[in-house]
Amino acid sequence: MAATAGGHLMQRRAFSLLVITALAVALFLATVLHSIRPDRKRAFPTGAIRIGVDASYPPFALDDGGSLRGLDIDMAAAIAREIGLPAQYRNIGFYSLYDALISGEVDALVSSLPIDAARTDDVRYSSAYFNNGLVLVSAADSSPLAIENLIGKRIAIEYASSADSILHGWSADGVAVQRLPYELSEYALDALRLGHADAALIDNLTYRLYQRGHSQWSSASQFITYDLYAIAVRRDNHDAWQLIEAALEQLRNEGELARLIAQWV
Amino acid sequence: MLAIILLAGLGWLALGRAGTTPPQEQPLVLSQHFVQTQKPQVCVHTLLENEVETAKILRSLEMTRQLGAASIVQFFPWAYVESQEGKYDWAQSDHIVRLARLQGLRIIARLGLAPDWARPVGTPLTRLPDAAFKEFAEYAAAFAARYAADIQHIIIWNEPNLSVEWGFQPADPTRYADLLTETYSRVKQAHPAVVVLAGALAPTLENSRSGVGLNELDFLTALYRLGAQAHFDALAVHTYGFRDAPDAPPHPGRLNFRRVELLRQIMIDQGDSDKPIYITESGWNDHARWLHAVRPSQRAAYTIRAYQYAEEHWDWLEALCIWALRYPADLRGYPDGYTLINPEFLPKPVFFELQTYARGWAAKESLWLPPPGDI
Repeated sequence: MAATAGGHLMQRRAFSLLVITALAVALFLATVLHSIRPDRKRAFPTGAIRIGVDASYPPFALDDGGSLRGLDIDMAAAIAREIGLPAQYRNIGFYSLYDALISGEVDALVSSLPIDAARTDDVRYSSAYFNNGLVLVSAADSSPLAIENLIGKRIAIEYASSADSILHGWSADGVAVQRLPYELSEYALDALRLGHADAALIDNLTYRLYQRGHSQWSSASQFITYDLYAIAVRRDNHDAWQLIEAALEQLRNEGELARLIAQWV
Repeated sequence: MLAIILLAGLGWLALGRAGTTPPQEQPLVLSQHFVQTQKPQVCVHTLLENEVETAKILRSLEMTRQLGAASIVQFFPWAYVESQEGKYDWAQSDHIVRLARLQGLRIIARLGLAPDWARPVGTPLTRLPDAAFKEFAEYAAAFAARYAADIQHIIIWNEPNLSVEWGFQPADPTRYADLLTETYSRVKQAHPAVVVLAGALAPTLENSRSGVGLNELDFLTALYRLGAQAHFDALAVHTYGFRDAPDAPPHPGRLNFRRVELLRQIMIDQGDSDKPIYITESGWNDHARWLHAVRPSQRAAYTIRAYQYAEEHWDWLEALCIWALRYPADLRGYPDGYTLINPEFLPKPVFFELQTYARGWAAKESLWLPPPGDI
């Protein structure tokens, strides 16, 4: 009996050793594979980067008489240059973009896509290149507005927008502000600029575009919510993700991404 | 010792049973409520058929009552109730009907979706072969009889002028007229007082050569030509505003809120003006990335103006139902821009404006302030 028990013990040890070795090899292979330089041919087998974009969302992308223009278009072109391949654009309706990517019609979506956690079984997102969340805007010469200091303050918003919902939530949480609803976000910013409001709660894109039209006006802002735009590739196309992410990082480091954003938004 | 073993055995048995039998939900003890409203035509389309938790069904219905909506349109899929031929499972329907009754809500019931056994293998739930018309009529009659005390309005099928609602078969007025004929008499036998609604017709510009559907004007005209007039008591219609204001004039080549007036004119022309119309889906969408959407401010303002317009001009309208109160989960697309409350039951601003209108609370002169430059 003792000899049999000893034999079982040896077998268990041998099995454990085998499992540990297999895991170590798998870990090593995964590390090596991960560190292998991404392959352009594997990432973009047609020899071009096929980009899906919904060109109906200026200033990110717009079909201007058959010619596509906008931040997403210029940024995609810059990324393609960094990778060393030509960019080919496909103008696709917003709600068909993911189908086009998953079915392989395009290699990447560069279309001011909000990062959607529910899609990450199928796609992988790049790092975010723009935040279109809500910003709390105040006059540049006023003191910074912390949420707890907003009680009684006049906050201008676009009526019925997500900013309006946030004010309802603040009110429910005991932060009772004086709500100034306007038909348009731009009117809410007008109210702040003209001194009718202490702050405006507005999406970042509207705020930035408004600033372009009122360059003499100085203001301060802070993000209250996040709505991050990123590039999407198929989850199994790891090479494409690595190449695009590296190119995006390069553009960021060179200041080119900031320049493009400032040019369009 | 024997006693201990016996007790242990009994305990084990009890535990085993507890582990295999799902816990039974205790019936909720709820009090009877009534809808307080000044505008009884306010109605919402609910989507309770796919809810699992009673708490969510109840919360949806409570918020409908608090909104001041007197009615809901609610779907009762045939495929869910009679998944096995000849065996009705009314549990979920009973549950929804009871909870709606306790909130004081009127139900306009929409019936549709064919079970597996009633359609060819591999076809979608909306496929309804001619051979299954009789079985569908039997289900509709059984439904009408079971809920005779609670439900006085039944819509036969959904958007029959769209191919997708026929399992991608042609949207054929002849087949729908046949379905109405088969169903109407059976339902009336089961519940003579029930109001049978034809439709609900979908807004579309498709012509007779389209594979997608047939515009609702031609479809309704064809129904009258086929003699379907005797087989419905009222017409159900879907009309959406898209980007037009609620008072934008109707035109056969345009989809907007007042398009329903063109259908009304066909009914008058056919000598059928005594029948009312129920708008069982309507509204505006404020999703930021949909081309047919409006701004959130426009959506709220248009919704209230639509009700005011209907009240002033449409004495033939029985109900104006907003699509939709709430989805069980975000659809992650433009349809999310149609709801009044989000999946977490947070009301959108349009909910509060509609509530103010329906409850007859003192409304502000304007929903928003004038542009600051004009002050």
